[in-house]
Formats: sequence, C-alpha cells, structure tokens
Amino acid sequence: MTRAKPAATTARPGPVRLSGTPGSPGIAIGPIWRYQATTGFAGGDAGGRPAEISISDAATLAAIQLEGLAGRVRTLGRAEEAEILEAQALMAADSLLIGEAERLAGERGSGTASVVAGAVIDSAAALAAQLAAIDDEVLAARAADVRDVGGRIAGIILRRTVETPATGSIAVADDLPPTVTVELPPGALAGIATEAGTRTAHAAILARALGIPAVVGVSGLGEAIDGATHDGADAPLQVAIDGDTGEVIVAPGRREIRVLESRRRALVASRRTAQALPRGPGATADGQPVRLLANIGRPDEADGAIEAGAEGVGLFRTEFMYMGRSVAPSEDEQVEAYQSVLARFGPDRPVVIRLADIGGDKAVPYLGIAADANPFLGVRGLRLAYTPMRSLLVTQIRAISRAGKIAGAVPHVMAPMVATLEDVQLLAELRAEAEAGLDADGVPRSDRMVTGIMVEVPAAALLADRLAPHVEFFSIGTNDLTQYVLAADRTSASLGSLQDALHPAVLALVQATALAAQSAGISVAVCGQLASDPLGALVLVGLGVGELSMEPASLDATRYALHSHASEELRELAQRALAAETAAQVREMAFRPS
Amino acid sequence: MQSVELVIENRSGLHARPGKVFCLRAAQWTSAVRLENLTRGAGPVDAKSILGLLTLGVSQGQRVRLTTEGSDEAAALADLVALIQDGLGEGETSTV
Repeated sequence: MTRAKPAATTARPGPVRLSGTPGSPGIAIGPIWRYQATTGFAGGDAGGRPAEISISDAATLAAIQLEGLAGRVRTLGRAEEAEILEAQALMAADSLLIGEAERLAGERGSGTASVVAGAVIDSAAALAAQLAAIDDEVLAARAADVRDVGGRIAGIILRRTVETPATGSIAVADDLPPTVTVELPPGALAGIATEAGTRTAHAAILARALGIPAVVGVSGLGEAIDGATHDGADAPLQVAIDGDTGEVIVAPGRREIRVLESRRRALVASRRTAQALPRGPGATADGQPVRLLANIGRPDEADGAIEAGAEGVGLFRTEFMYMGRSVAPSEDEQVEAYQSVLARFGPDRPVVIRLADIGGDKAVPYLGIAADANPFLGVRGLRLAYTPMRSLLVTQIRAISRAGKIAGAVPHVMAPMVATLEDVQLLAELRAEAEAGLDADGVPRSDRMVTGIMVEVPAAALLADRLAPHVEFFSIGTNDLTQYVLAADRTSASLGSLQDALHPAVLALVQATALAAQSAGISVAVCGQLASDPLGALVLVGLGVGELSMEPASLDATRYALHSHASEELRELAQRALAAETAAQVREMAFRPS
Repeated sequence: MQSVELVIENRSGLHARPGKVFCLRAAQWTSAVRLENLTRGAGPVDAKSILGLLTLGVSQGQRVRLTTEGSDEAAALADLVALIQDGLGEGETSTV
C-alpha cells in the first residue's frame, strides 16, 4: 500500500475556518445543502451528455415528487397549498405537455440532456403563455404553475440535484427565506449556516424551533464553499458548524472533526442533566411559579411542544399559513389549523394565537401591500387593519373564534405591532366585527375570547399603564422591542452588537410593562428570544415577568435555570441589571448571579 | 359518439380545483372525452388533460359542449354531466 497522496491539483483544499454569530446552540457536521435564491437550487448539470431519461419518465418522477410534497403540506394543515401541488402533479403527467415536448425535442434533432430539457421548458412556456393570454386572474396564476412544472421536469432530465436535502444535511445559504424553510421535511436538516442574518433572523428562529444548531452572519461563507467545490472531488463537501461559538469549518479535516465531536458529546451530556429534571411546571427554587410556554409556527409542532413539557402555547405564529402560496388561506382552512392546536392543548393549557404578523421582513406578495421604504417601520401586523387588507384580520379572528368553539377551549388572540390606545381600540373593533358577523351568519363561535397585545413598540411599553386596563394580557416581543429601542435593524449582520435584548434600555421598558400589568392584574409574558436564553430568563423573572414562551427545545434548559435560583436572588439580579451602563455589563453579572 | 351542451355554473368555472376534479373523473372512463368552450370558441380539447381543460378558459356562466366516444360513452356522459351539475366538488364558498 502506498502512502502517496493524490496530486495537489485534485486534492480538496484544506479546511477553511470562518466565524459568524451563534444562531442556535449545538454542533453539527454534515454534507452541504446549498440554497441560492436567484438560481433556485444549485447542483450538477448533465447538459452536454445524451439525456439518460425519457421525457415521459422524467414527467412521471416530477408528478410523484409533487404528490409527495402535496401530502406533506396537507399534513401540515395547509389544504389549499396541497390542492395547488396536486394540480401541478396532474400537469406534470399531462399528455398535452409531454406530447408537445417530445415533438419539439424530435424536431430539434440532438438528444443531449440540455436540448431535451429545453424542449420541455419551451413547451411549458408556450402552454403558460396560452393560459396567460386568457384574461383571467386565476389562470394567470396557473400559468406560473405550468412553468414551474416544466422547470422541475427539465431539472430531472439535467440531473440537477433534487430539491429536498438529504437527511442530516447542513443548509448553507446567503439567507433562508421563510417561504423555503416551510417546504423542508422535518428531520432533513442537521444544521443551518447563513452568510446574512442575525440571531433573530428567521433561519435562526427556525433552527431553534427544530432544535438544530445554526450559525448566522458568516461572511465569506459562499466564497469558501465555491472555492472548495471547484476542485473536482467526488465526495460531497462537508461543513461543520458550532452554534455555541459561531465557528464554521468548510471541508473539515479528521482533526477538526475529532475536536468538535468530543465537544458535541460533552454538550449532549450536560443537556441530559437539564433534561433529567422532571418536566413539571416551571418554578423558581423557592416555588414561585413561572409558566413555561412554547412558541410554535405550525400545527404539527404542537406535539413536540407538549412532549417538551410546555404548559401551553405563548405564541402561535400564524404568518407561516400565509407564506409560500399564491392566495390567502380561507377561513375554513384556518379553522382547521387553529382548531387542531387548541384541541391538542385542551381547555386547561392556553394557546395564544397571534394575528398574522405580515410585513417587515415577512413579505407576502399576493396581498399587494405596497413595499415601504423601511418595512420594519411600515405596514405590518395589526397595521394591516388601516389598509384595504383589514378583512384579512377579521377573517382570522372569525376563524379563531370558530376554532375555539369546535375545540372546546377559550382561544387567546394576540395582536402584533400595537403602538397606541387607538390600536387597542381597533383590535376591539375587529373582534366585535368578527363576532357580529359570525352571529349574523348563524355560525357557532366561542362565547369567550381572551384578547391581548404584543408589547414590542417602545410607545406601548412606555404607556403600558394606560393600555393595561383595556387588554387581558401583555406579551413582550423582545426581538422587535430591542430593534426599535436601539434603532438597529434586526436583519443587519453588522449591527449584531446593538441587538442584545439584555441592554438596560430594553430591560427598563420590560420592567415598566411588567409593573403596569401587575397593577392592572393582567398577565405578562415574554415571547422573544431573550426568554430562551437561560440567563435572560432569570433577569426577566426578576423583573416581574410571569410567563416565558420559547422554542420547545429551550424549555428544559430554562426550567433547570429557574429551578436553581430563588426568586429573591432573581429580583436582586434584575435590579443590578437595570442599573448597569451597558449590555456587556449585564452579561457579565448574569453569568455570575450572586 | 354522444354529446350534450351545458352551462358551467360554479364560481371558479373549470379553472382551479373543479378543473382537476373533472379531469380526474374523465380519465376514469375508457371513452375519449372531449370538451369545447362554445362561449369563447375554444377547443375541443382532450378533457383528460388538465392543461387542455385550462386552455379552454371556462369561466362561470359559459357554455360548453361535452362529447364522449367509445365503449362506455353513454355511462361516461351521464356521469360527467351529473358531476358538473353537482358543482364539481366546489362546495361552500370561502371568505377572503
């Protein structure tokens, strides 16, 4: 056996070390699944070689893929999207499309994969143009579906890698938009690394929800991978990420892998200690109860939340229902989704359903909301009610009320982006309109509905004492509150240091909100990132916050942290944090609670 | 060969889901099934093709001619006419 290594020109370059912002804890090593927004999905291209698969076989494969996707989306409770995918599956197997593509390919002579794929794309485009020419809005949307199907079949002929990642992949992207992440099957990703984004970017939130590691804001990531990919090696390129330190290693060597592996084992062991604690209700060492709730983004996350010991849902984000599709979800479809979560948690564990927080960094093209120059300061959340999209929120409240009736549980409704008392009154009007409408239609609805607001706009926190008498609960969104208080866009990677929710300026507003809630006798929760940071949780409880809502994966660690400290200790810690001059000082003392 | 003329009454015509429902049902019959949009003067097309159906652009209130031809043409025609008259699976209208 020779020890000769392959020639230097074909050898994969050594490991490239990069660093970013920790997005979600843990260590993962796996093959890269690359997502590029502009080109869709990158992968191998067999263009010049003869096509190895017939058009009709490729079309059948595409139809099977689409059927599978439809089934998956349907189990997530998104029936209308499933309909569209099922229609696309039919289109993929359509004799008209296949016949025309075969005719065109024959006419063009050459049987190379790129010519055959081109014939499919052109045939689909011609059919799409025919549909688009008919003056009808619905058919115009179908035209886009036909082109999409053509692209999928062509991708199979060109042997582009399938769009779903292999199990255990690490998603690498400039940014992973929510519309893409909702399409991914659970369990496919072992980790996420993005070049853009911050701790509160959606890729990071998703990673924490899935309990997988993530590193965000990794500059030079794409370049490092391109450099490593162009060496002609056959084995899939690996990447290792450390979600605690923010370290990313492209093409890690055996030594790097060994070091990370031993750290990963140590982490798993310490997490087991936290998990070994019985999953009872949250409380401090001296028994002061702190309700531990889950943030969920899809109905199918309810089971995981219950398993993790959630005492309810403090934030059910509904915007995911509105994304990755071409029309708004119908009232019936929403009833189905909300009802399933309410029923799962039953009458004794509250489920707070947040009205669609659309706008900001969560754009929904089909709503036709004009883009604001600064989307975070524009029309988003409850502010939709000041536009022609008002009916969207009324429909949602109707659906929530109906779902509560069916599930036999009192639904909690929460409005995002509330700034003023007028906003609070608007919420009451929307609710009255929804309930009166249901009664007029003779549709059964929940007799009771608990309404509350997100406190994330500084104005709402500053005047919390004046808003509290008009609502039934507050839930502080520390991510947005921090970005508004410190005037630092939460999606800006270069402003990472200004995005620390433990900044004393943010904590002062949290305290004002908690005090206002206490004197009005209403509950106050935190559903932002800070609640899932065990140190943040300690400070929040010390400030008087009674409920913490977080990704289910963080519940164990938070329960453990609370269990280890007495409430008096936390109040004292919170006072010192409020008196600090910088966020860094708070972090220092939080690490050493006296 | 058998044929019948009828008006499509459901809200979204033969566009989205109803088109799919019709196409899937047509495909279950041995006979050839063809559909022509008389109002727009489009077709006839193979009704077992969803794309063919969509290119007819049949909207609510438009008149179509349905033709079946083959060993089970009478049963196929009766079944498909009943399906159209039942509203093509388009039940309750949704809000938004």
